Order: sequence, then structure tokens, then C-alpha cells
Amino acid sequence: MDLKNLTIKNFHKGLLDKEFSAHEITQEFFDYIKKQDKKIDAYLSLNEKMALEQAEQADLRVAKNENVGMLAGAPLAIKDNILIEGLPATAASKILENYIASYDATVIKKLKSAGAVFLGKTNMDEFAMGSSTESSAFKITKNPHDLKRVPGGSSGGSAAAVAADMAVAALGSDTGGSIRQPAAFCGVVGLKPTYGAVSRFGVMAMASSLDQIGPFAKTVEDAAILFKEISGQDKLDSTSADVKYGEEILNPKLENIKKLTVGIPEEYFIDGMDKEVSKAVESAIKDIESLGIKTKKISLPHTKYALSDYYIIMPAEVSANLERFDGIRYGSREKAKDLIELYKKNRSAGFGDEAKRRIILGAFVLSSGYYDAYYAKAQKVRSLIKQDFENAFKQVDVILTPVTPTSAFKIGEKTKDPLSMYLSDIFTIPANLAGVPAISIPISGKRELPVAFQLMGKPWKEVDILGIGQYYQKINPNA
Amino acid sequence: MSEINKKELEHLAELARLELPEKQEKKFVEDLGKILDYFKELQEVNTDKIEPMIGGFELNSISREDVAGQTDDTGKGSDSFPDQKDGFLKVPPVF
Repeated sequence: MDLKNLTIKNFHKGLLDKEFSAHEITQEFFDYIKKQDKKIDAYLSLNEKMALEQAEQADLRVAKNENVGMLAGAPLAIKDNILIEGLPATAASKILENYIASYDATVIKKLKSAGAVFLGKTNMDEFAMGSSTESSAFKITKNPHDLKRVPGGSSGGSAAAVAADMAVAALGSDTGGSIRQPAAFCGVVGLKPTYGAVSRFGVMAMASSLDQIGPFAKTVEDAAILFKEISGQDKLDSTSADVKYGEEILNPKLENIKKLTVGIPEEYFIDGMDKEVSKAVESAIKDIESLGIKTKKISLPHTKYALSDYYIIMPAEVSANLERFDGIRYGSREKAKDLIELYKKNRSAGFGDEAKRRIILGAFVLSSGYYDAYYAKAQKVRSLIKQDFENAFKQVDVILTPVTPTSAFKIGEKTKDPLSMYLSDIFTIPANLAGVPAISIPISGKRELPVAFQLMGKPWKEVDILGIGQYYQKINPNA
Repeated sequence: MSEINKKELEHLAELARLELPEKQEKKFVEDLGKILDYFKELQEVNTDKIEPMIGGFELNSISREDVAGQTDDTGKGSDSFPDQKDGFLKVPPVF
């Protein structure tokens, strides 16, 4: 079997038709990863023993003609901030270098009962803070399309693993674009679900009012399969909602898709955007119109403020969430004369620059005297950004935009200037602030580097964006 | 509105239990200055009578009965604790 053309869908078919076993394919993946990942550096740790056992179990169920789901035996990559019992979970931070997860995240539990196979844990920006995977304490992941370029971030390892055929699909987390931006840079599909659609129990919290777990895949259909499996209410995450996703997210009907109206917000087509990106997005709009879907110009007037808004709210939550890493509970502990010195020693040695910068920025915007001017103001502006979406969704069902202003940038290009790095999230952040679902889909056509478009949907209406996405790929089978 | 100066940065670092070497302090003052300068654009947004958006989404949180329970099972959570003895977790003296 050619790993390159392996999707969840055709893996499942091949498994049931006994063209191959899950064990064979899993072994093939490990052989390939050991060669290929020397160049890409997508994985932080491999899980060979457990994965091959999981694969064997899937094969056993197939041999007994048991009814197995789409994900049985499917080899997946998991971002390293998501816990799998017994495996390292470092979130690419030195402070968790020796940490072994003591329980399964809810998404992992669900995937385990679906019979999925976990190949390993993928590299990321430290604690998911970054847009290039360069802030990992351990390694720099390269973009499979050009090894001198970044894969995007923070879920860069997961995106690169899928793009380089080192996993059939993967999980990442998205706080301000950390699934969609690397998906766009690496030429794969990435979905950030509605806030509350997927349980975050067992993912390391970065900014709790923004974080969501979501899938990376080679096709929109695969992303839908993975999303359907991991979604659902969980009593261990009080923000998870009781929403059920039906079969239609897997098999959308064209007659329903044709009834949708897609809005194109003028604020997302800005000066300074790469010409190739805007040309590509134009072509995606034409393809979507060719399906019989109406498009309409709309306005999201507060878009311009989303970046500032996000970089106040997110660090504020980061500074609180990262308090728990203090050298007391996890990892190694440095000797110190008292408790305060112990905290300081461990945190100073354990956190990288970007984590420290965001902790301090968060402490600043929350501090007395500045709280109203920054944090309280940002929460109000966030309301306005959410209202923009509510107003837009009175006129249209889905919003189409670019994912990033440029294609993948060079390694080292933005590390010295944090603000320039932050600006690469400009089109992905609003969906997190508003809580709406959004997907990044590669645009068809021959280019040196991948370019993608984004579809944002109404809350809980993943069915619309996954539906349009699936039909876009049907008319562009090579996208 | 204010920018972060060296003294303020040291105070924030102290509160966040971080030690910053001199060179990093200089870089952070510069970086954070630029970032805070960028944030100034928010001041032009009229937010009179706008309610703050708190949390991620307007959802009904899940709640459960508040029932007291007792357990001596520390689970595997304590395995990653750096220092322990006879089921007790050791930390340095607080005072």
C-alpha cells in the first residue's frame, strides 16, 4: 500500500477487503517515519510497541468479522499537549521533559474505543505558544514542501506528519489558529470545531476560553470522520456541550449545500496580502460558486482589532494556566533553600522565552491599574467581534476567507520579532474569539508552496463547512 | 496606558516567579513595549454599554450534585511527583 494515498476512508476499505492488515500498515509507517522524520522532525516521541499492539487488536476484530468503525486500526499522530496514559507528554517544554501522562484525555479514550492506533506524539510550539513550531524546546519541525521553511504552528508537528505521509491523520489543538495555520502551510485539512464541541479534558490548558482540539487530515471527509468520533459532551469538561452530530457531516447532500449562502468579508482582503494567496482564494470562490452556491460580500467591521484583542485575552489566561508548572507536581525538581526560590528556579529553567514573555504580558494586562485599560477593554471588544459574526450569520450561512496572509515563511524569519510572528494569525484568531467552527482547506492548483482558504460556520454548524469542503474537493480531486 | 519599564518588568517577573537575566530583561522591555504599543488601537473602539464577553461561549455549564466522598486512592497522578515517601508527597518547607 502506498502511504501517500492512504486516507482514513481507503484505509478502512483496504482493511475490510483484507488487502492489508493494520499491523502491516502500522509497521510500514514506523519504517517510513524512521527514515523520513530525520529530515522533517515532526515527532517528539514514537509509540511503536503500544501502536503495534493496538493494530493487532484491530486486525483480530476484523478477522472475527466484528463490526468495526471507520477508525479501527487507523494510524494517527497526536500533538504532545494531549495526554495518552503511559506516554510522554511534554508540550515541547523543558519543564515537562520527563513527564509521563497518568491518564487518557477524553479524545484519546474515544479514539481508543474506536480502535485507532497512536503512532507517536508530535512536536509543537512550547505549550502551544507560537505560529511556527520554532518555540519547541526540543527540535524545529520543517515544512515537508520546503525544508527551509516552517510548518506553521503551534501544531506544526501534526500538520507536517500528515503532509509527509507519516500518519493517516492527526490531532492538534487550536487557540488562535494552531490547527488551521499549520494545515494551510503544509497543504492538509485542519478543523477547529465550535467552542464546546470537543472535550478538552486531558489537553494542557493554554487559554481556556479559546482552546479547542481538532483533526488534521488529507481530506475534508477524513476530518469529518475524526471530528465526529471525538465530539460530544463530557462531564469532565464543563464547557463541553450536549450537541450531537449526525450522519450528514459524513455524507452531505448537494441539494442542501446548494441552499447555503457564503459571505466574503472585505476586511479579510487586506493590503500587504501575498498576491498569490489572494489569487488562489479568488479561484476557490469561483469553484464554490460553480457548485451553485451563492456568494455575497459582507462586512465584519471589528476584524482589525481581533489580533490585539487576542494577544491581551490569551496571555491573561496563559499566565493563570501556567501557574501550575512550579516544580512541585511534575518533572524534575531543582534544589532550593525555600519554596519561593524553588518556584523561581524551576520556572526560569523550565520555560522558554515565548512562554515567559506571555506569562509576563498576561500578568501585566491583569495587574491593578492596567486591568481596565487592557483586559476589561479586550473582553468588551471581544463581544463586538462576536456580534460581528452574529450579524453576518443573519445574512449568510458560511464565511469564506484566506487562512493566512502569506504562504509558509522561512525558519528564523520571524523569531526575533514576536509581533511579526503574531501577525501571521490575523485571519484565524476571530473564529476563536467568537467561538465559531472554522476549517482550513488546501486550494487546488500547482504552486511552489501550499495555500488554503478558510470556511467559518455558525456555532454547531460544522455540517455546513464540512459539507462545502467535501464538495470543493469532489470537483478538485487533486487539491 | 503605560509601557513596561525595567522596574515594572522586574516586579511582574517576581509575581510570576520568574528570574530574567539582564540581557533578556532588555529584550523583553523592548518586545513588550512594541506589543503594548500595538494594543493602543483598541482604545479607538467605542465600548460604551457593551457587556464584556467572559469565557468562551454562552453555554450552560455542566454541574453535578455536590456530594462529599472519601478516598485514599491517589491514582497514578502521584507517580510523576518528584519527591514522595510512604504515599506522602514531599515539598520543601513553606516557612
